[in-house]
Amino acid sequence: MGFFFQELVNGLTTGALYALIALGFSMVYGVLKLLNFAHGDLYMVGAYIGFFVIQWFGGASGLHIPVPLLLVIMFVLAAGLVGFLGVAIERFAYRPLRNAPRIAPLITAIGISFFLENAALLLFGAQYRVYNTPDFLSFSSGIRIGSVTIDTVQIMVLAMTVALMVGLRLIINRTMLGRQMRAVASDREAAEMMGINVNFTIAATFFLGSALAGVSGVMAGLLFNQVSNTIGFIAGLKAFTAAVVGGIGSIPGAMLGGLLIGVAESFITGYVSSLYSDLLVFCLLIVVMLVRPTGLLGRPQLRKV
Amino acid sequence: MTAPPVLGLHDLSLSFGGLQALAKLDLEVGDTEIVSLIGPNGAGKSTVFNVITGIYAPGSGDVKFAGKSIAGLQPYVIARRGVARTFQSLRLFANMSVLENVMAATYGATKATPGESILRLPRARREEREVRALAEEVLSFFGQRLAGYRWEQPAYSLSYANRRRLEIARALATQPRLLLLDEPAAGMNPAETHEITELIARLRDEREVAILVIEHDMHVVAGCSNRVVALDHGVKIAEGGFDEVANHPAVIEAYLGRDPEALAEHE
Amino acid sequence: MSGEALPPATGPKVAGPQTGTQAAGPQVGVDEWVARRAERREYLPSWLGTAQRSVERVGWWPRLGIAAAAGALLPVLGLSGFQLQVGIDSLVFAALAVGLNIVVGSAGMLDLGYVAFFGFGAYGYALLSSAQIGANGIHLPSLVSIPLVMIGAAILGLLVGLPSRRLSGDYLAIVTLFFGEAFVEFTNNVAPTKFGGANGIAALDPIHVGGYQFLSNASYYYLLVVVLVAVMAAMRLLETSRTGRAWRAIRDDQLAAGSMTIPVDRVKLMAFSFGAIVAALVGTVYAAQQISVFPTDFDTPILILIYASLIFGGAGSIAGAVTGGLVVMIIYDGLLRSPSDSGYLFYGLILIALIAKLRPWRRLVLALAALIALGFAVHALAGAISATWVAGAPQSTGLIADALRNWLVLPASSQTPGKVGFVLLICLLIALVQIKGNARIYLLVPTIYLASFVWETVLSANPSITRQLMIGAILIVMMNARPQGLLGARRVEVPT
Repeated sequence: MGFFFQELVNGLTTGALYALIALGFSMVYGVLKLLNFAHGDLYMVGAYIGFFVIQWFGGASGLHIPVPLLLVIMFVLAAGLVGFLGVAIERFAYRPLRNAPRIAPLITAIGISFFLENAALLLFGAQYRVYNTPDFLSFSSGIRIGSVTIDTVQIMVLAMTVALMVGLRLIINRTMLGRQMRAVASDREAAEMMGINVNFTIAATFFLGSALAGVSGVMAGLLFNQVSNTIGFIAGLKAFTAAVVGGIGSIPGAMLGGLLIGVAESFITGYVSSLYSDLLVFCLLIVVMLVRPTGLLGRPQLRKV
Repeated sequence: MTAPPVLGLHDLSLSFGGLQALAKLDLEVGDTEIVSLIGPNGAGKSTVFNVITGIYAPGSGDVKFAGKSIAGLQPYVIARRGVARTFQSLRLFANMSVLENVMAATYGATKATPGESILRLPRARREEREVRALAEEVLSFFGQRLAGYRWEQPAYSLSYANRRRLEIARALATQPRLLLLDEPAAGMNPAETHEITELIARLRDEREVAILVIEHDMHVVAGCSNRVVALDHGVKIAEGGFDEVANHPAVIEAYLGRDPEALAEHE
Repeated sequence: MSGEALPPATGPKVAGPQTGTQAAGPQVGVDEWVARRAERREYLPSWLGTAQRSVERVGWWPRLGIAAAAGALLPVLGLSGFQLQVGIDSLVFAALAVGLNIVVGSAGMLDLGYVAFFGFGAYGYALLSSAQIGANGIHLPSLVSIPLVMIGAAILGLLVGLPSRRLSGDYLAIVTLFFGEAFVEFTNNVAPTKFGGANGIAALDPIHVGGYQFLSNASYYYLLVVVLVAVMAAMRLLETSRTGRAWRAIRDDQLAAGSMTIPVDRVKLMAFSFGAIVAALVGTVYAAQQISVFPTDFDTPILILIYASLIFGGAGSIAGAVTGGLVVMIIYDGLLRSPSDSGYLFYGLILIALIAKLRPWRRLVLALAALIALGFAVHALAGAISATWVAGAPQSTGLIADALRNWLVLPASSQTPGKVGFVLLICLLIALVQIKGNARIYLLVPTIYLASFVWETVLSANPSITRQLMIGAILIVMMNARPQGLLGARRVEVPT
């Protein structure tokens, strides 16, 4: 029984991670109706940034600065840099294609994803970079409930995800920017005619979404320890699955989807075999897409003929 | 023993979520008759078309084509039975040529398999000749407008009025018994409107097809209809000849607002 | 919207009465211009476009014959072993691009799992023509195994295409991507004794027809020419038939197509199926030529290569697909196999781009002069500061190395500066795109200098990565600059 709950906790943690990535992904889709294939690779860049911050401050076992400060710098830097990278990509590659047929931005996104992965390979080499998290962040401390351990890193991930999701919800629902985002997502032309600076709103959305991806990258580095240039691809697929299962364009949906995927993966890996976890997640996606294409929490789109 | 009407809508209802688009609608169109469907925007006219052509399934009630129910069938099946339509916002195959647009609509009438097409077997060659001849014949119905030199032009390069005509031509290529025209004169100037009115009448007379027309332009409605049906909020509010319907108080109210004195007078 | 011109006297006679009122006579210029569909095709610029127009006058089938003859004659002119291999790879990808063109170009659906059909063909052939299955293996004659594999692929195509009933473009793309991944996972992990696992399947029988065995690379080259020509011909015949029309109708407007008697779901499945058949056929020949198959032969990078070929050449055009496949593959393969020579290509392309885009001549000359001057100045300055800064050697050899000697700054340990330069180069390129006017030219000069620096230090030192970067760049740049590809026709999409 303890095993069950341990797997549940692990699943929720990785699920929270997926949820974060899915959140950014869903946001961008909501505003631009574009599946940003490169989103997963932004996550990968964030993970690398976190790694290099650790190296800059002395490496995992020889840190010059206190750990909380290190973490803050990692997260802020990853969020900021990846956020700006996302904005640059939007400006340079997606904006000219705003009125092009749907296939064009999709293919461009694939190209960007491929380019980013290989650029990372060129710049950082093929070998895995290791965070060595246990050296500075103890895995053994944390909360113990019976035989179930929730270690520090997991607590941090869960707490941050909840905080970010709440923060995002607040931004979307309570601020002017959030309202503009919702307007642009609803009807871009009308929003423009109502005086909303559509370019800025879209750029802001990309910034937020990409920043989330960057932050998740750092978290992934802390949780999973290993960073390489290919982690973005798989993460992107899982983010897509989570976003679709939960309902694309819906923020609580992305959260729910992410958690579901994480937990499902955890249980399948724990009880069956890790080989089949990807396959079964894929099947889950197919089932949801065929049975309820708008996702669990999505709203069906009416179409005028 | 009278033949069943080409089109029969019986007690047709459909709602989208909370919005009742059609409410217990009864409508009939006879052979070689032009019926005009009028009503303010949002009255449910295009919804009627979408239900007839299978894009929506009716909530309740039935749609009968030549006596047989076509409710819930797939659009391409209904099209093959003999119901063709045009769209309110043009839906041409923009990147295909004029001729190809029309030829594409003959798919249901041809049987050659891809294998036969690749090997250019006799059936494929014969059908290709027939399809092309049919397309040319249909296009020639429109006279100089869609004349020969236009046939290889991509559809997007045509003028607006010609694109509307092309959509009608494409619909005709399916050799329909019932033609549904959705605002065929939308956006046309008076000369073109006059032309299209004559065209619709000619369609009925020369090609012997029943036509159900949605129109806002009363010149068209008056100029070619055998009967007029008025809808509002998914309900039929008047039916009859043009003068009768145009002067019906409920119709006037639907378009312009209530005039209580006139209503009392009529009753 | 005003009156139409009367048709030219040479036009066909139009039957039927005149309709409506005729406005005043012929309109000068308007209709004839519209009627000239050629203008709409947006040919390649300047002399390339003229060449294109002349070529098109020849007619499709004669063109195919000429191209086939040229392809077949090439080895006769003498190709080295390496060049022959590049030729084989190019033919493979050209054929794959033609197959993909059915799904993406004709029917307008994004199938990101396409490479799995290629793999299916290869693995299918491998299982039926090797010692892999059973005690002595199955060694079916090629005339049996290849058609069998193609039929299997057709069925697989139907299965993979099933989601297209309910899913629109983006979602369909991802589901097919998943399927492609599933194929690689499957061949990598499932039943390694049967399917070879990560080590793949080796020692495949060569293709044998009648008594003849295809053993040499040259023989496979010719076989591939035949396969490519056959595939092109079949696709052309299909394109101009009712099926091709149905595909294009669905691509333009699915809803309208359905309302015009076209069974949309069924026709979409046909597109998937035919694409799969083509890919599988190519897969069998590929497997036989390679004498082995591995899961990594059919992974995502290969898929992206096929897409880059099609997008570059022009989706929707068979000639475009083939051209794209040939060109992309020649550069891709060539880059890897002779990195030091690919410098010629790199600098050559830059020079051509400059000549084509920088008008008038005076500007071009000024820019080149500034570039050369900048190089020597920077080199001299760097050398004066520290000897190690200019002690390195370029990757390129021969003529290029001589030209670069005192012009390009190449530090002794060049990897790190190279990488920094790479990032800086990307930023500069992005900035270049955003800036307009004269500032753009001023920025261009240092950018080109930086580009050659990055090339000589890291890019040509890592050819396998560089060529992938090039593929990604092709996708990004083509979609922005010329989405219809080299030989495609500009499409109009009406928002619905």
